[in-house]
Amino acid sequence: MLQNIFFGLSLGAVYSLIAVGFALVFNILKFSNFSHGGVMSFTAYAGYFAYIKFFDGKVSGSLMFIAIVSTAAAVGAITAVAIERVGFRRLRRNNAPVIYYFISSITLGILLENIVTIFASSNFYSYPMFFSANNITLFGTTFSVADVVTLLFSSCALIVLLFVLYRSKLGLGVRTVSFDVNTASLMGIDANRVVMATFAMSGALGGISGVFLGMNYSLYPQLGQLVVKGFIASVIGGLGSITGAVIGALLLGIVEVALIGVVGSGWMPACVFVIMLVFLLLRPRGIAGVIVQEKA
Amino acid sequence: MDYIYSILTLTGITMIGVMGTYMVTGLTGQFSFGQAAFMAVGGYVSAMLALKFNVPFVFAALAGAAAATLSGLLVGLPTVRLRRDYISLVTFGFGEAIISVLNNSAQLTGGAEGLVGIPKRVDLPLVAISVACCIFVVACYKNSKYGRQCLALRTDELAARSMGIDVNRLKLVTFLFASAITGYAGVLYAFYAQYLEPGYFNWTISAEWLIIVFVGGINSLTGALVSAAILTSLPEMLRFASAWRIIIYCVIVLLIINFRPNGIFGDWEINRLWKKKNNEKQRTPGKGAQA
Repeated sequence: MLQNIFFGLSLGAVYSLIAVGFALVFNILKFSNFSHGGVMSFTAYAGYFAYIKFFDGKVSGSLMFIAIVSTAAAVGAITAVAIERVGFRRLRRNNAPVIYYFISSITLGILLENIVTIFASSNFYSYPMFFSANNITLFGTTFSVADVVTLLFSSCALIVLLFVLYRSKLGLGVRTVSFDVNTASLMGIDANRVVMATFAMSGALGGISGVFLGMNYSLYPQLGQLVVKGFIASVIGGLGSITGAVIGALLLGIVEVALIGVVGSGWMPACVFVIMLVFLLLRPRGIAGVIVQEKA
Repeated sequence: MDYIYSILTLTGITMIGVMGTYMVTGLTGQFSFGQAAFMAVGGYVSAMLALKFNVPFVFAALAGAAAATLSGLLVGLPTVRLRRDYISLVTFGFGEAIISVLNNSAQLTGGAEGLVGIPKRVDLPLVAISVACCIFVVACYKNSKYGRQCLALRTDELAARSMGIDVNRLKLVTFLFASAITGYAGVLYAFYAQYLEPGYFNWTISAEWLIIVFVGGINSLTGALVSAAILTSLPEMLRFASAWRIIIYCVIVLLIINFRPNGIFGDWEINRLWKKKNNEKQRTPGKGAQA
């Protein structure tokens, strides 16, 4: 029981990384960023190839893990900034309707997924085992080390992010721009820089979650479609709310593990979908209760 | 010749699917990433009725379209009253859910191995007639009261609401209409290909349809149809590798979105060709009177 809850929490922690990366961009540009999944696939592979080319045999164990995760986070940040440059900079300058942001993000997501497919699809890859001892026992229950690390590392990443958002000047800028771009610009905030920084943060989170997903499952180009878990978590938590996304994701993780026990892993996605629909009917604004109105 | 027939048939089926997407995206400005899942519902329901209960094709097709509409109701009902991000996220989830259901009810649907042995009931003439009928219906819808209300809703939801348009109902009706059409495309596909597998209906197909609609111009049904015809049939004939084909699409779309945001056709429709003459006739006496 305790073990299952813990497993659910660690799964939920990965989902929360996805959901927060998605919510960050949603917060600032007010549209759903579908390219996030593409970033996740891309960075999962980037981390793997960095491991093959640079780290294999030079470092080992947890050091290797940290090296791979930071490479993936850096690649993710760069990719997301590039996405912003190619896909959204011009749209923002033209004050384009929100439809164009959607299309642009979908296109970039498919583009990244297909680039990965072309260059890497012929083989299946999988990450090495980073931690030699597989289980630790505490209070009479066994936990797998990978889950503990996932949970700890995700929490650290989220705490760093929250610190940046709520305790730094950059974070103040991000929150201001997400409130109102024009007023923020009038107050002397460089909106372009803030948007770029937001995309970089979201991409870094996408990179970290990509590596975790790659470790949990094997690497395949459609890995990024697991971004749907992040979507569901943010719908449950309330679109655009970061704490809501975290809570929603942790809940989703626990519910998924419970459902796998009850109905099996095959039927689980369908059940989760029905739960999400019921949730939308009963409490459409999500757990956090922020309602984001569409601009008139 | 057979090869060209099959390309034309598949292009026709894609055109019907694209029309469904056009209704959701082009008319009401919402994004459905589960459009292919409605196609899957239509295809699987009709094929299973035909296989297990020997239902004649006409009734199976009707049942398929009806099932797609029902599932559209399931997805649409909770989401139309929320902001438009929700319908994209929920349809995305719906697509994943449908695929997992299809994969896991192996006794009924054949699971990941696919549903085989569907009788062949669809050929090129039937597809051509279906395309023509769908174009007629969608064009009429676009030019009707509802279509115009949809355009108002897409441009500015709040303003449309304040003009007395029942926005939620309109969104739902259009969404259901689109689901029915897409479901019918699924029926045609099932009884043409004689084989269905869950992997065919993933979100890439839905996204591809969206891209097609967008390339043609989000305001133009003609544009959507022409770009559907060109973007599906040309690569088949030129035998591009499929992954590269999609990359080329994506680059085209990025160029269009940055430099020609209204799509290739803008809001031009083919009936302007003959409408123009009427307008000129009306205009000439007016000008004469002024002079």
